[in-house]
Amino acid sequence: MSETLTGRRILVVEDESLVAMLLETILEDMGCTPVGPAATVEDGLGFATDGERLDAALLDVNVAGRQVFPVADALKAAGVPFVFSTGYGEGGLPDEWRGHATIQKPFTEAAVRDALMKAMGQANV
Amino acid sequence: MKSGALDAELAAAFEASPNPYMLLTPDLRYAGMNAAYLAAVGARREDLLGRPIFEVFDSGPTEDGRANARQLRASFERVLREGRRDHLALIRYAMPAAGPDGETVLQERFWSATHTPIRDASGRIIYILQHTTDITELEQLRRRAAGADRKRAIDSILSGNVLQRAEHVQQANRELETERNRLLEMFMQAPGFVAVLSGPDHVFQMYNPAYAQLIGHRDLAGKPVREALPEVVGQAYIGLLDAVYATGEPHEGRASRVELQRTPDGPLETVWLDFIYQPIRDDSRNVVGIFVQGHDVTETVLSTERQKLMIDELNHRVKNTLATVQSIAMQTARTHRDPVGFAESFQARLLALSHTHDLLTRSHWEGADLRDVLEHETKAHGPHRISLVGPPVALEPAAALSLGMVFHELATNAAKYGALSVPEGRVLVDWGVSDQTSPVLRLAWREVGGPPVQAPERRGFGSRLIERNVHHDLAGVVELDYAQSGFSAEFSIPLDGRSRQ
Repeated sequence: MSETLTGRRILVVEDESLVAMLLETILEDMGCTPVGPAATVEDGLGFATDGERLDAALLDVNVAGRQVFPVADALKAAGVPFVFSTGYGEGGLPDEWRGHATIQKPFTEAAVRDALMKAMGQANV
Repeated sequence: MKSGALDAELAAAFEASPNPYMLLTPDLRYAGMNAAYLAAVGARREDLLGRPIFEVFDSGPTEDGRANARQLRASFERVLREGRRDHLALIRYAMPAAGPDGETVLQERFWSATHTPIRDASGRIIYILQHTTDITELEQLRRRAAGADRKRAIDSILSGNVLQRAEHVQQANRELETERNRLLEMFMQAPGFVAVLSGPDHVFQMYNPAYAQLIGHRDLAGKPVREALPEVVGQAYIGLLDAVYATGEPHEGRASRVELQRTPDGPLETVWLDFIYQPIRDDSRNVVGIFVQGHDVTETVLSTERQKLMIDELNHRVKNTLATVQSIAMQTARTHRDPVGFAESFQARLLALSHTHDLLTRSHWEGADLRDVLEHETKAHGPHRISLVGPPVALEPAAALSLGMVFHELATNAAKYGALSVPEGRVLVDWGVSDQTSPVLRLAWREVGGPPVQAPERRGFGSRLIERNVHHDLAGVVELDYAQSGFSAEFSIPLDGRSRQ
């Protein structure tokens, strides 16, 4: 299964460096190439729109006191699948994004992989 | 129309009315009367004006007459005392009339009377208006019928249905009025808001002080809702009132949000209300108005919201902290193959995080002082070996947590490989804040007297954590210098709230 993820470039948007490092470690272990991490919505938008190839993204919902949804919109427009990560649970997502692939903090490698596969599978359909 | 002209027209209408009317001053002297009154009592205007009514009509010397005068006087006194309209359904009162030989005789008459207080602009009662109906013929008819041997149909009609009822009406009216006043008083004193709206345009007929408080003490009386509370137009409430009026079905609102103009020229204020719109029906079951009742639940709604926000925020922080701890565990595990070394390093990092939390808890999470954070993370290595020189610097919670981790890694590294690994080594930390408009913390960590330094072959978790924290969380810059004479680190960190999280 994991060859689907091998070599994939995955953007990480996460404001806490330790959590970002955790995600990078998990991604590297799965054979992915982490992109970023972006610590703010602006940085995230920069990565989402700079023309570099992105295969998927992990988006912390609350980034430096702001909500990450502008980045989600930009990725959606560019056809890049993404997964939300949140400490708020699914209730933390507004109606517009409810039901979207989400991982809960703290993460397991399996949860990150499953959510990415789900998001990328949906995007490929 | 000028008020003088209006007054004249009103006076003409009063004079022309077929109903007898008269006005008394509060000391019960005639102040005015119309032609119908003069005709009914058989007197001339100039004989009455200014005279006390009980001097003109002493009701004769009989006990009955005196009792009737007392009844009339009592009614006037109730009006003056209670300030309310008073009804006398049936009163027997003798009136002077011309006798068969031209002399004046007292003639028994039966009356029904209403006494209404008339007030001036300041609310003081200046007149009592009496409206009387002469029911003498009806009453005499009833009495003759009652005296006859055979009961007649007319008697049952009159005694049963009209006059007896009239006698009872007075008592019933008083009871009803007492009841009505008691209800009104309850509405007025109710802690919840109450209003009575009349007609299809929902005109305010009555509202209590709690309602006045709710809408900012505007004058609503006699105005339709859309005019009295223009800000609610477009907020669904008038539509709801229309629906209740049209269907006769009550409407109940729970924690319903409404924007109200509670101060003139002030901003709209948001309040949440529990309320019910109850249709008011007349005798034929037609809806004629709406009874509004409810209470302000704004405080409850807001505190529930605050509580939910706090729980969400707490949950968010706990989950984030767990993810941080998870990251520390995972990264630490990669650099420590043996369980004992892992446990030591992991615990030390957890304690570093925990210490900064303690500092922040002391300040109710408003922030922490840089020196306190440094002392907390280095004191285990002996305070005399670490020199801390710099002014007080207030750190925001996120910056304090990040720097706490950073200083922990520096101190741990110094104790393992650097200046603190030998007895004579020392660490010199000094700092300052430049540029007060957008302040930047410049901090130097210098190790002296330690063993010769060798740059690490590959970056460990510690140095990655330091660099990431400074760049990523603090939007700052750090340079790590592995000079042979001693390790040093130079930090440059913006303090103007640009630190992230």
